[in-house]
Amino acid sequence: MKIEINEQRKDASCVHLAVIGEVNIHTSPDLRERLKPLLNAGHKEIHIDLSGVNFMDSAGIATLVEGLQWSRSTGGRFVLSGLTENVHDVFSLSKLDTVFEISEDSESA
Amino acid sequence: MEKHQPCELSCKLNSACDCIHILRSMVEVMGARVGMDDVQINRMVLAVDELFANINKHGYKGSCGTIELNAELGHDALKFVFRDYAPPIENPDDLQGRDIEQVRPGGLGLHLIDAVMDEFHHQAMSDGNRWVLVRYLKGEDSK
Repeated sequence: MKIEINEQRKDASCVHLAVIGEVNIHTSPDLRERLKPLLNAGHKEIHIDLSGVNFMDSAGIATLVEGLQWSRSTGGRFVLSGLTENVHDVFSLSKLDTVFEISEDSESA
Repeated sequence: MEKHQPCELSCKLNSACDCIHILRSMVEVMGARVGMDDVQINRMVLAVDELFANINKHGYKGSCGTIELNAELGHDALKFVFRDYAPPIENPDDLQGRDIEQVRPGGLGLHLIDAVMDEFHHQAMSDGNRWVLVRYLKGEDSK
């Protein structure tokens, strides 16, 4: 199983990642590998578009928590957008829907 | 809701394989028969996926092992029984998820299972572990 991750750099400090597929224990390492260099590069804003993700498990959540913490430690923004109903439900079950900055509109993120 | 007929599905899986589609299919069949909506079915999929992943990661340490799953649809409940042949977990403390209020990566799987299911039991066997997840069909809105 693989996920598709499309990267778009809006400007020097802002990166937009669109994720397509299921983010689970098998695919979350791919997402982490794509996030790591972006976070290391010190981008001030990282937007993750999850409108193409129909399933996410705790491994996927953990990867995004890691990204959030890393981003916050450097004073950056880490924004999630386009959460499908099922993915938003997993964030709610995890009580993380109020911890992340979540935008409903994937286009504006 | 129409009265459904009890039924049962079973499969034997390799712990190291990506089995989410098999698990999802089993859960969807059961969930559809009792008229669960997409979010509720996704929650069931999440619970069985999390347990499968936990057995693989912590029981079999990522190596190949057998996991048997039996899904039983009764009149009042949907039950998923997992059986593995990894070292038995004797200490209940090993089954504790992390504090949900802590925002850090990892340790969420057991919490999610607990949040989704009405019952979650573990039994150490002489040759492995038996896990039972139960979702009551009465009071669908309780979870």
